[in-house]
Amino acid sequence: MEGAPLLDLRKITKRFPGVLANDRIDFDLGRNEVHALLGENGAGKSTLMNVLYGLYQPDEGEIRIKGESVRMHSPKDAIGRGIGMVHQHFMLIPVMTVAENVVLATEPTRAGMLLDYNAARKRVVEISRTFNFAINPDARVESITIGQQQRVEILKALYRGAEILILDEPTAVLTPQEATELFAILRTLVREGMSVIFISHKLNEVLEIADRITVLRRGKKIDTVPREGATEKGLARMMVGREVLLRVEKSQSQPGEPLLQVENLQVLDDRGLEAVRGVSFEVRAGEIVGIAGVDGNGQTELIDALTGLRRPKDGRIRVGDHEITRAGARDVIESGIGHIPEDRQRRGLVLEFTLAENLALEDYRYPPDSRFGWLFPRRMIARARLLLKEFDVRGGGPQTRAASLSGGNQQKVVIAREVARDPRVLLAAQPTRGLDVGAIEYVHRRLVETRDEKKAILLVSLELEEILSLSDRILVIYEGRIVAKRTPDVSEEELGIAMTGGQTGEAAA
Amino acid sequence: MIARAEPGRLPSSRLLGAKNTGLLGIGLGVLAFWLTLPPLTTRTVLWPLIFGLLAVAAGIWSTRRGGGRAGWSAVASGLLGITFGVLATRSSTAHLEEIVVWSALIASTLRYATPLTFAAIGGMFSERSGVVNIGLEGMMLMGSFFGVWGADKTNSWALGVLIAVVAGIALAFVHAVFTIHLRADQIVIGTAVNFLALGLTGYLFVSSYGAEGAPTAIPEIPDVSLGFLTDVYFVGPVFANLNLMIWLSFALLLLSYVVMFRTTIGLRIRAVGEHPRAADTVGISVYRTRYAAVMTSGALAALGGAYLSLGFVHTFDQNITGGRGFIALAALIFGKWRPFGAFAAALLFGFSSALGDRLPDYFAEGSAVPQLFNVLPYLLTIIAVAGVIGRSIPPRAIGRPYTKQ
Amino acid sequence: MTEAPTPAEPEGTIPSPAARLALYQRAGGFVTPLITTIFAFFIGGLVVLVVTGKNPISTYKAIFNGTGLNWLFPWISHDDRITAAFNLQATLLLTTTLILTGLAVAFAFRCGLFNIGGQGQYAIGSIVAVWVGSSFSGLAGIPHILLAIVLGSLAGAALAGIAGFLKATVGAHEVITTIMLNWILFWSAGYIFGLEGPLQDKTQASVPVSSNIAPDTHLHVFWGNPVLQGLHVGFFIALGALVAYWLLLNRTTLGYEVKAVGFNPEAARYAGIGVGRSIFLAMAISGLFAGLAGAVDVLGWQFHVGVDDIQGSSVGFIGIAVALLGRNSAPGIFFSALLFGALVNGTSTRNLDPEIFKPELAQNLTLMIQGLVLLFVGTDVLVLYLWRGRQRLMFWRKTEPPT
Repeated sequence: MEGAPLLDLRKITKRFPGVLANDRIDFDLGRNEVHALLGENGAGKSTLMNVLYGLYQPDEGEIRIKGESVRMHSPKDAIGRGIGMVHQHFMLIPVMTVAENVVLATEPTRAGMLLDYNAARKRVVEISRTFNFAINPDARVESITIGQQQRVEILKALYRGAEILILDEPTAVLTPQEATELFAILRTLVREGMSVIFISHKLNEVLEIADRITVLRRGKKIDTVPREGATEKGLARMMVGREVLLRVEKSQSQPGEPLLQVENLQVLDDRGLEAVRGVSFEVRAGEIVGIAGVDGNGQTELIDALTGLRRPKDGRIRVGDHEITRAGARDVIESGIGHIPEDRQRRGLVLEFTLAENLALEDYRYPPDSRFGWLFPRRMIARARLLLKEFDVRGGGPQTRAASLSGGNQQKVVIAREVARDPRVLLAAQPTRGLDVGAIEYVHRRLVETRDEKKAILLVSLELEEILSLSDRILVIYEGRIVAKRTPDVSEEELGIAMTGGQTGEAAA
Repeated sequence: MIARAEPGRLPSSRLLGAKNTGLLGIGLGVLAFWLTLPPLTTRTVLWPLIFGLLAVAAGIWSTRRGGGRAGWSAVASGLLGITFGVLATRSSTAHLEEIVVWSALIASTLRYATPLTFAAIGGMFSERSGVVNIGLEGMMLMGSFFGVWGADKTNSWALGVLIAVVAGIALAFVHAVFTIHLRADQIVIGTAVNFLALGLTGYLFVSSYGAEGAPTAIPEIPDVSLGFLTDVYFVGPVFANLNLMIWLSFALLLLSYVVMFRTTIGLRIRAVGEHPRAADTVGISVYRTRYAAVMTSGALAALGGAYLSLGFVHTFDQNITGGRGFIALAALIFGKWRPFGAFAAALLFGFSSALGDRLPDYFAEGSAVPQLFNVLPYLLTIIAVAGVIGRSIPPRAIGRPYTKQ
Repeated sequence: MTEAPTPAEPEGTIPSPAARLALYQRAGGFVTPLITTIFAFFIGGLVVLVVTGKNPISTYKAIFNGTGLNWLFPWISHDDRITAAFNLQATLLLTTTLILTGLAVAFAFRCGLFNIGGQGQYAIGSIVAVWVGSSFSGLAGIPHILLAIVLGSLAGAALAGIAGFLKATVGAHEVITTIMLNWILFWSAGYIFGLEGPLQDKTQASVPVSSNIAPDTHLHVFWGNPVLQGLHVGFFIALGALVAYWLLLNRTTLGYEVKAVGFNPEAARYAGIGVGRSIFLAMAISGLFAGLAGAVDVLGWQFHVGVDDIQGSSVGFIGIAVALLGRNSAPGIFFSALLFGALVNGTSTRNLDPEIFKPELAQNLTLMIQGLVLLFVGTDVLVLYLWRGRQRLMFWRKTEPPT
């Protein structure tokens, strides 16, 4: 790199009430470079990029582009400086066409105000051709795949003359096939003169695509290293600040009789497409069965069907000898299934309710919480007090609102509720998403303890680590089918290959 | 969202598309009824039956091929066409001539529809930008009162209309400040705005003109006299002497369509109403767009109100709008937040009012039965939002205050 | 953004109406509604001063004397006390109605629904009550009264239930459907009590009004003159409804479900709560309150219903202001119903001295004050601003080290 770097962030500091999100972070980007920003959830990656993109104002620090100090007051400034951002949640308007989305706010016009749609689609076709995107400019965004939508986002940036492209966790929503395509596109972009900031918490991806890697941890920059010589292990240590060894202490499982039996289950997704295509498995008492897979391969629909929120198209689900295939959510709960949902704030808790009310969310309709429809709040509170103590929930008592607790403690409340109901089968979907290491350890320990109480546990997780360290048996789901069964001594690589439908991956998308 | 998706829909054959067939069916259904009316006045049941059934057939064909709402409407149109057509052939010709003097009825329909058209198109701007506008009624009322007040004070209808528009914008500005900047609930504020307008116009009215009533001899918005049309069969009686504002509403219709769907302004308004964050990230000011849209809606609703007082009933009375703002809202929803849809709904609702005006001939002196015609717009709107004849889907971000990051 | 910290109200997410109101409740107690009210009266006073040139204070004083609330003052003269008692009875009659229409809005709010249809539900309640009261002549007093009240309330419940049902099944927005139902009732009443209408009193052929209800269906008047609209036992029905409302929300599983759905429908669904059922029931119970209001008015003091009674009424709409100003809490609703009852009554032609201020003007002033109250109550302007301001202050203290 000669002269000033293309982009230079110096000592960026950003505070939120009670949180120091970015603490004097330095970051620079050269031309034709992919610079990865690596860190756990909450490490400050997105905040830093939002500062760069003008969505947040930094409290301290300086942004330099091509050696010139600039201030970004809004995304408009950032766009004007040649910065484009592909957000994790796409900023696309579903009912509009690809071309309309691309040109929005910088439209080609006729007679001053009339939208020149033909010029717009021509530009889109041109750019797509240059960078080898296969995309139909007239398709409505809501009718194209997620991978294509992401390309529309990249097109938007290119159309606006971006030289710097920020990608925020771009692979989180992609199938492995689509991720491969994305990397090919990124390489083309860099060859054509673009520079890319690649935000991720996935080590293997970063090592595959980045030229340099900057690691953030708890709002601080830890180090910037070139790809050459970087190892997964070394990066992981920087990310979490200690040797990661999430293997949970647990004894050999003593599986008993099958408690959850699923036969040939078929489930449709929201659009009527078959998302789960004939899945069969069983979970026995005293074992944890992990379902590994890339996001969007039918896990959500599987869980929905098992919890009675989605009617299966075909197949059978049984708990013990009780059939719940067509049961509603309430009947499923009553049949002895407990459920730790993947999004505790949206699905697990009523944030405006007190902890006591949240803990009673499934029990309120039975004695002792209520009788003949009459509620006894004091009994709810008394029981909550015991549970909060038993499950080590900190930051509030039975009358505290759930919203005021930290994520880890909120999850403990959910777990307390589900485990205390003494279910025969516990479904845990992404039980540690977004939690810090301490909380993760707690959740894992609790799950193993529950297993040892002879419950059947089905764990669905996108984190391989978690699957490997907790499961007694592993099922791999791919495109709605169980494509492999493994034991936990399997290597990550082998599991990864199975999760992508074999090495070739031709079946994706 | 899920990763897999169907490929983009293939464009169906243009001429025989499901939607066009549905539209044809609607036309056939109308034809079925029309044949039985003057000037043709078919006296046999056969013709309405044939055309009505054709309409139903076209409708079913259309729905089978994804014609959606157009198809269902064709079925409904066919059935109604048969019903009314057969009924009409049963009643005496003379009576029909008397009631359904077509040209007069259409002219009357236009008069009733025009305030609704203005307000509904105004509402479209606001709602397309993501701000629910329950306050249309109040904004119309402001226009009605200040139109009369302004025309009275300045002795000029044009200045009266101008003052009406300013008043409408002022009230819309209140709505905008509270819903956009202060992020209050849009429904609550809309309700508040209606109360405010009702109280303020009532207060000023009583305070300026006393309890006795409206000023007389205020300048009126003139009719546009097209002499050369007068003798043209049918067209003459309808269009030769329409009020200026009715013509303006036609112009507005075209203009609003072009602005909303063919210009960058419209694209941006719609973007803000569908996904404000996305619009923000490409540099569109969500707040500014919404302010402009809401204030436009105030101006247009006030124009509708001014027409009502200065061009139609030629007076003002407390609460003169009497729910027309809500009918306009209904027309907007029924018309799927589109200008021509809203206009068609306004015409339909206007027609039901015009018919309600004329139908008393059928009933005893002072009978309240024709009042039931007033129920029609509201009933149809409930049916429309319930999705029985194709769901009306609002802009995605409607009703949600936007928080900048 | 995944890693934004969570302040009191998470940025970017839209709080449900119920969550929002919960925030109001925590934020200000009774102080903010009070400030809101004073502010609204202040601006109303400004209008009086600027437009009419009257002294707002003497205007408000005249209105206050019309409300009868001066009955509570020990120092007024005997004659004044008689007038005041009479006025206070009228005010409390209105309060009775407004408590019930306020509850109709508040209960739906707790389920995250905006019942704007209190007006229509009130109308159908009075229509059914007047129908029951003026027919079934074979029934004795109390059963007849009960039948009228029950059927009137159920009619309100059924009407609101339509909106609830459509919301629960096809997702039709309840604001739209209830507005439309209001107008359907508005015009239907014109037909029902109009000439040739089914409930029009055939003995007076040209008057658009119903027959009178049977005399033994009148509610007992316990304070004041039964002929001159004294205060009837319906007042206690309204107070009972307030208690029932509180118990329903805080002491029953139904209330728990309704609140859970109001705050977070998705979590409620995961917990096995029937979301659609809760929405339907919340709307129906809302309508029940409004229908009850209509029935109580007919049996308590109206005794017959005319087209103008329905089309000129706005108690359902005032209920929105009552519920919002009362923060959806039972005591809050009582006091705000009293406030609006007093305001409407104090500005009525009967009670306001036209020498001091024209009642026609004052009635419009009432409408404006209602609008202003809604405007301020529905806004974060006072409440959230103060709330956030306090937080900002605390944050500032924490992070800025003294130099």
